Amino acid sequence: MNFLSSTLAEPQSFQTWEKLLLLALILLSAAIFLRRFAPILGRILHSKKDPNFTLAPVGKRSWDFFWEVICQAKVIRERPLPGLAHAFVFWGFCAFALVTLNHFAVGFGLGFLDPVGFFGRSYSYLAAAFAAACAIGIFGLFVRRFFVRPRWLGRKVSYESGFIAALIFILMVTYLAAFAVRSASPAATALWWIHALSILVFLPIIPHTKHLHLVLSPATIFLSRGGFSKIPPLVGDEDFGLVTGKDLTQLTSLQAYSCVECGRCTEHCPANNTGKELNPKQIILGLRGYLNEHGPASEQNIIGTYNSITADFQCTTCGACEYQCPVGIEHLPIIIGLRRGAVNTGMWEDEHGAKLFLALERGSNALGMPASDRDKFIQKQQFPVFDGSQEYCLWLGCMGGYDPKGREIIADFARVMNYLGASYGVLRKEKCTGDPVRRLGNDLLFQQLAESNLETLAQNKVKKIVTICPHCVRTIQEDWKEFGTPPAIEHHSEFLARFADKLPRPNQNVRVPQVSIPGNQNLTAEQEARVPQVSTLRPGNENSAVEQEASGHDFSRAENSPNPDRALAPANNKIVFHDPCYLGRYRDVYEEPRAVASLAGEVVEAPRSHQRSFCCGAGGGLVFLGEETGDRVSHTRVNELIATGASTIGTACPFCNSMFRDALAEKGDAAPQLLDIAQLTARNLPPANQQ
Amino acid sequence: MKIIVCIKQVPERDAQVRIDSSGKWIEESDIQFAMNESDAYALEEALQLKEKHGGEVVILSAGPERAGTTIREALAKGADRAIQVESDNLNTLDALGVAQLLSAAAKQESPDLVLTGLQSDDMGYGQTGVIMAELMDLPHASLILNVEKTDSGITVKRELEEGWFQNIDLPLPAVLMIQSGGTKLRYATLMGIKKAKTKELSKVSAADFGASDAPGAPAAPAATLEKITQPPKQKSTQIIPGSPKEAAATLVEKLKFEVRII
Repeated sequence: MNFLSSTLAEPQSFQTWEKLLLLALILLSAAIFLRRFAPILGRILHSKKDPNFTLAPVGKRSWDFFWEVICQAKVIRERPLPGLAHAFVFWGFCAFALVTLNHFAVGFGLGFLDPVGFFGRSYSYLAAAFAAACAIGIFGLFVRRFFVRPRWLGRKVSYESGFIAALIFILMVTYLAAFAVRSASPAATALWWIHALSILVFLPIIPHTKHLHLVLSPATIFLSRGGFSKIPPLVGDEDFGLVTGKDLTQLTSLQAYSCVECGRCTEHCPANNTGKELNPKQIILGLRGYLNEHGPASEQNIIGTYNSITADFQCTTCGACEYQCPVGIEHLPIIIGLRRGAVNTGMWEDEHGAKLFLALERGSNALGMPASDRDKFIQKQQFPVFDGSQEYCLWLGCMGGYDPKGREIIADFARVMNYLGASYGVLRKEKCTGDPVRRLGNDLLFQQLAESNLETLAQNKVKKIVTICPHCVRTIQEDWKEFGTPPAIEHHSEFLARFADKLPRPNQNVRVPQVSIPGNQNLTAEQEARVPQVSTLRPGNENSAVEQEASGHDFSRAENSPNPDRALAPANNKIVFHDPCYLGRYRDVYEEPRAVASLAGEVVEAPRSHQRSFCCGAGGGLVFLGEETGDRVSHTRVNELIATGASTIGTACPFCNSMFRDALAEKGDAAPQLLDIAQLTARNLPPANQQ
Repeated sequence: MKIIVCIKQVPERDAQVRIDSSGKWIEESDIQFAMNESDAYALEEALQLKEKHGGEVVILSAGPERAGTTIREALAKGADRAIQVESDNLNTLDALGVAQLLSAAAKQESPDLVLTGLQSDDMGYGQTGVIMAELMDLPHASLILNVEKTDSGITVKRELEEGWFQNIDLPLPAVLMIQSGGTKLRYATLMGIKKAKTKELSKVSAADFGASDAPGAPAAPAATLEKITQPPKQKSTQIIPGSPKEAAATLVEKLKFEVRII
């Protein structure tokens, strides 16, 4: 039989009792669906209104909807095979909207798609193609769920999912089979009834299973908060974050009910992957469980039965979960919301956390150092002080101002700025931007720090800021908006990339790794390892060892590479660049740091890079908390970076750098060198610019 | 138990202090102020006692208008109300004068316990609490790390020299000078700050305690401040020779016995 000549078989017109039965079944199915769905919708709508939510820009929302829902782009990009299988099912459903409507219309003798008419026939062929793809897709997903069983789907086998997969498969097969039977035959009638009953059984299952995402997730994606990790403002005197059901907003509740339990969030979570309790999927399902039991008006604490405070504070806020989520759940405002609730009410007790908060209550920086240390560093480096005449304010940040390694990075970046002739100055006083306390949920401290800094910047008439820390960049540009208008800010990778054609190249001077070292040839390997490497790398440099250490150049080599030969002549010129979460997923900057690093060597990629980069473990204030459960995130990441065989790990965030420095310390000879892109650039500067 | 905690506002730990034109005090306009560190521990001790045994924590602070922010901070951390003693000439008073003001205010409250920090981070006399006890005719103990309530009063743990501790039983009411580091401080919370807004802060002036010869009025200072100077800058750097192992051993030796920080 030629398929193209066949038509979709329709049953004979039904008798009255059949029509009545059909009507009764449709009403029953719809009634059960509504009975189950209405309370859910009620809980979402009765949640608190989201403060500061606007539909604008509708254009971006529409595009996201088109791209992520209609095109299924995110689902496919992040998991190509299952993603495509899902897309086939989704597109099949879309194509079947008209088919289904017609299917029931036929039951009442009101069919509007004529199987032999031009449109009806064409559409039935189109639908058949989608049906075939959908059947294959759902079969693939069935195999994945029940036989491949990736651990992200959870240990519990969901028989409901299997049942629904079977229903979808039956829907598609009965549709396709109708092409092979004669119209008005008993077989056609039987296929029609099986198809119709499958739909009517399917409908009531939707609301209380993860298939609710069919109904909700298009809305969830369209109604996003409008920015990555966008943390809503606290409103009024009674709002301290997510404490009880009363604090759940409509968007939060909508997202909680949209979760499809696919586990992408958990699959990419650095805490979960290193043996910690945190499971982002469980956080969302916990909120759903809370809403189901207590509802949005409850004054019962969320933290407790449905949420673990330990898990909440294991999050590095790397944002992999939020980035990966295919149904538009924004995990970060939720996790940070739970932390806000716990910290703003004093519920969270943690020795390290309290120490950080007290350091920032009493002092200026998260490291708990005296501010005078920063002044001394500025004097030693002879950084110009910002007086309004310079173009850029060079923001040091806590790491750049106080951390030995961060200082090396900022000093090198300043040297590069000098070389480029950029005019800049540093502020006399600078406080922590509040990034760690923002992410840990201490709104009181965050507001104090943001307001104090905004005032300092306004007093100094700062127009443009550049800094080495992506956490500072994000916090200043986005989070401070709640309390004022921050100046424009860019990360040094963006700054350096703009001047890429003016940056020094390795062949422009002698200070490249392979160069022989005048004056130091007589040192034994052991002696050389003790000498600060800076002197071995700076021909003719007469500075004393102490001064060099203060200028802090290339200290990492001496520290991480006990083998001086290796330190001086890396096995290869490959640089593996680690994407910092706050530069990549938070700011969408991926190519700039690579462009800068590529001037110093061949940039190679880690298995997880760009949007899928794996956190270093520092974010979300966790660098200050100590990581005591499971493996260390930084060690996991460093092993992955080392496995690329690159001789250099390139970073663009002083926190990543600090985490990796510790992780590399135990690697001994095998450790690659660890350098920020500013350091990679500065190593190529002509000797005159090295000071 | 009604506990009074005396709190002083002092220049922030990181403040870059400059000496003012009189040469007798520091330039206050360009620095920030914070709660005296050992007072913060006194407050914490009081809050923990209240959490365990109930009662009321009252903040008592002698200071100018600006001290209000530090008082609010103490209320935010959990104190119930506050009394601020305002006086124009606090700067010129010595420890006796301040103790007279504070004890006059404290007496009106009839507290079970008065806690002060061991000493202030700015002047560092370490006298105020002791003199208050004398003026209030109450028993006192200094260098306290821990306070436990007993049936008959309290048991306190004092830190002596060279790692020795002393436990003393005291009757109530009493005055205690609390040492830094005995407990862990709590952080200020948004909820605390919001609640603090509605807590009572009553202000009294030195004049409220009567004429200059009344018991509460501050005596003319027995000690006066002649001048203050910046400490001379000293820096000595030592480079420790030897293999890393030897150098590390020498370093530990020096940190232990020369610098005595570990």
